[in-house]
Amino acid sequence: MSDRARNIAVIVGMAAMAITLVFLVATNPSDVDRVQAIGERIKCPVCQGESIANSPSSMARDMMSLVSDSVALGASDDEIVEELLASYSGAVLLDPPVSGATLALWLAPIAALGTGALIIVWWRRHPGEPAEDTVRSTTSSRRLGPLLILGFSLAVIVVVAGFFLQDRSGPATGVADLAGQDLEDVSEETMEAVVAANADHPQVDGMRLALAERYYDIGDYSSAFPHYLAVAESANATGAQAVTALVRLGWMAWDGNAETETAIELFDQALAIDSASTTARYLKGLVLWCGAGEVDAATGLFEEVLAAAELSPEARTNVEADLAAVRDGDTCP
Amino acid sequence: MLAFLGSAGMLLAIVGAVLLVVRGVAAARHDTSPNLGGAAQLLLSGGAVAMLAMVLALLTDDFSLVYTANNHASATPFPFDVATAWAALEGSIVLWGLVLAGYTWFVFRRYRKSPDRLGAAALAVMGVVAIFFFGLMITVANPFEVCVQAMEAGCVRSSPWPFATVSAPADGPGPNPLLQNHLMMAIHPPVLYLGYVGMTVPFAYAMGALSLGVAGPEWLRRSHRSTLVAWSFLSLGILLGGWWAYEVLSWGGYWAWDPVENASLMPWLVATAFLHSGIVQQRRGMLQAWNFILVISAFSLTILGTFLTRSGTINSVHSFTQSAIGPALLGFLVLTLVGSFTLFSTRADTVATSPRIDSMVSREGAFLANNLLLSVYAFIVLVGTTYPLVLEAFTGTQVGVGEPFFNRLAVPLSFLLLLVMGFGPITPWRSAPPGLLWARTRIPGLIALAAGLLTALAVTRNGWVVLAVTLGVFVVGTMTGLLVEQVTARAAKTSETLPAALKQVVTGDGAFWGGQLSHVGVVLVAIGIAFAANLGSHHEVELSPGESAQFQGYTLTFESPFRQVQPSKTVLGARMTVTRDGNLIGLVEPSANFFGSDETGVSTPDVLHRPGGDLYITLLSTPETGSATFQFDTSPMIWVLWLGGLTTAAGGFLAMAARRRERSVTPDRQTVDV
Repeated sequence: MSDRARNIAVIVGMAAMAITLVFLVATNPSDVDRVQAIGERIKCPVCQGESIANSPSSMARDMMSLVSDSVALGASDDEIVEELLASYSGAVLLDPPVSGATLALWLAPIAALGTGALIIVWWRRHPGEPAEDTVRSTTSSRRLGPLLILGFSLAVIVVVAGFFLQDRSGPATGVADLAGQDLEDVSEETMEAVVAANADHPQVDGMRLALAERYYDIGDYSSAFPHYLAVAESANATGAQAVTALVRLGWMAWDGNAETETAIELFDQALAIDSASTTARYLKGLVLWCGAGEVDAATGLFEEVLAAAELSPEARTNVEADLAAVRDGDTCP
Repeated sequence: MLAFLGSAGMLLAIVGAVLLVVRGVAAARHDTSPNLGGAAQLLLSGGAVAMLAMVLALLTDDFSLVYTANNHASATPFPFDVATAWAALEGSIVLWGLVLAGYTWFVFRRYRKSPDRLGAAALAVMGVVAIFFFGLMITVANPFEVCVQAMEAGCVRSSPWPFATVSAPADGPGPNPLLQNHLMMAIHPPVLYLGYVGMTVPFAYAMGALSLGVAGPEWLRRSHRSTLVAWSFLSLGILLGGWWAYEVLSWGGYWAWDPVENASLMPWLVATAFLHSGIVQQRRGMLQAWNFILVISAFSLTILGTFLTRSGTINSVHSFTQSAIGPALLGFLVLTLVGSFTLFSTRADTVATSPRIDSMVSREGAFLANNLLLSVYAFIVLVGTTYPLVLEAFTGTQVGVGEPFFNRLAVPLSFLLLLVMGFGPITPWRSAPPGLLWARTRIPGLIALAAGLLTALAVTRNGWVVLAVTLGVFVVGTMTGLLVEQVTARAAKTSETLPAALKQVVTGDGAFWGGQLSHVGVVLVAIGIAFAANLGSHHEVELSPGESAQFQGYTLTFESPFRQVQPSKTVLGARMTVTRDGNLIGLVEPSANFFGSDETGVSTPDVLHRPGGDLYITLLSTPETGSATFQFDTSPMIWVLWLGGLTTAAGGFLAMAARRRERSVTPDRQTVDV
């Protein structure tokens, strides 16, 4: 066989094998463990830098069982992630979206690769001396300087621009339209529209709750109220969502309208769903103390809260301060 | 008593470091050769005395030292009591100081043999770094503070003054439970520090060369050699860390893109880039400015890594409590960056221009691609690790950057690197004739594709695994082809036997073939990761004693719970038998360890090592109430990953040994282009 014929045979053989390989791999039935994959995208709230899929903590395992239930119920990845983020404070997405505040994070490596490639191309083209081993001359590393500075500035500009670039997509009206987006980047108007258009959608409660939380955070109780109420009464809401809604409603009733009894009743409802809810227990204690002057009941509740295992250090400090104050007979803050 | 000894050690070391700077600068400036031996000796013995005092305090349960009182318990068994010397912040700085003093001694030994201005300047730079670290020790991270107000177990108030009236507790709380669960804690930190701190040496030569204005080949030769030392230890240290995480942390993984893992990976990546680009400068005089940047970056990244993980800025398994060490390290980092880059830019005229590259299809071109990919890789890790911190500091927005981000970018980059690795070693310098490249790649290419096809048909059709196997076989294939080519050529020329020729070829260019062994190691790591990450399976089940569960062809039976009370801990565990096809293949005891008064147990997995892959069993709930929850994982082929890591490091050590031999046997060796 001539060299040429042999080369052709090799190329044909390679191509045939490569095509077969690509075909085999492409038709591989996906066996991705969705529960695990989703778990790896969420930071465990009580751990140090671990995802809920990798943490043995009980909260992470609770969250993982929620994920596996939701997967079994047919929820999409993004719906499950949204629900987890809405229901567990301190849970953070470990998979930053390619938009908003983390756009720059994704652009920076691309900018770096581009800058590096440009430097190499420039260096290749720039007329230097013919290559000679270990030749020394003293002209143009100074010329490389400005280029490096230029590249660096470019990267900085991209990073800064990323901070200010916002997602400018048009109004979306379906739950599915928002799939894959971080709810943080969706405007209130869009969320209102989606929630209104999908009032009966089984998965709307997560978004409703996120919207209500946003109003709540800025102190707009009257806008938040109908959404919390809808979640609290929704048959589709998960226990965690209902608890959050009831707790917020209770707090708004007391903080906004000084309705002590309504507030206590709402907290009790929340505790009936999740007897371990520390927020409900703590706020109930606070309202009993501040609204009804029931110092003993409040003391008991604060002590129960402190006995609970999962409490962030700040929360613990706050509750401890309140407990000390109520024991000393101070007026409530 | 030991507080005096330790403090005296720290002070001796500082005096030694100051002397080293003063005399080193004098020697470098006036080309005189004052004796630097006294200073280097003082530094080394000071560091050793400090470490000795620390270890003695731990071995003799001397709780009058705050460090012992708060990090040690009399029940802590050997060797964990010794390992406690670096298990907390202050002690880890003592280890850092000792390793730095040791490296300084090695730089001095070289200087003693042939004193020159570059060596003296480098010693002065080492002295400056040593002043900083021993300075940290006597100020913000003093390991020899004495306890002046004791608690039942531990200490509440301390004094840096060794003459203060001591009030020692009867016992201490013991080290972090996670750190006394595995023997690796005694080995992993020192090895890692040998890697980390070793990056100071190339930096010192680079700074020395720049200050003297002699940016010629000499600094590069020495920096390159010392980087090889640090890099080999760093590779080994990272491997041991991954192995520790796998054996101890009970989630079946070895790498989580945890900030402290990233902190060790960044200098490793940059040092790897320098190991390659340094060769380009040695052979072709190119990339001189770039090499300075890489060496400065590698050192700065070790300081940044230490800042990130030791300041409490980032919470992770490794970070210690918050202290004033954060600002100090950050200040030193800024000083290093500003100082070294200012020096670099003012001495840019002494750095030679890169001659023009003849062709991108050449060894130089492959090294350029390698450097681009590795630097971008390091940049991605850097950005991903620091972005959440910077964003929160400036805007208050909290974001998480975790595994999904890193995997998405690092995996494609790693495959590109493998591809370049397949071509680099077989590509000649200057310009590669296409015919030669084709001749050297066609057979390995065919074999690689066949291996990929075999994997897809017989093992798995998972794309990542198939790609890793195909590229891996290609890398090893082209390299083996090159070896065969050289051995047969030599045997034909010298009429040696093939084994003799093989020996001559490999020892003739030990640095190159050591590097190739590291390539094989990296290939094995890639294949191991691809298998373990894509083909593992995971199962959770609750069992009562006597019940069995099926998992991946194994039958696991929960035989009985057990409870052992040991001096330092209480172990609650489950005895399980594992059978496969009716044959008993192992007995496992996943457990939870409770140390002292600690109520949350540390889960300790049990791993059944099998040739096809490990069976990994973790206890999720303790079996006190009868039933227990178990987690089963399989890690297929994970031993390939460990073997690969060891091979990578071994390649580095081999190249190191070859260079030593070359230096002593043939000072002016002529290399032959391949």
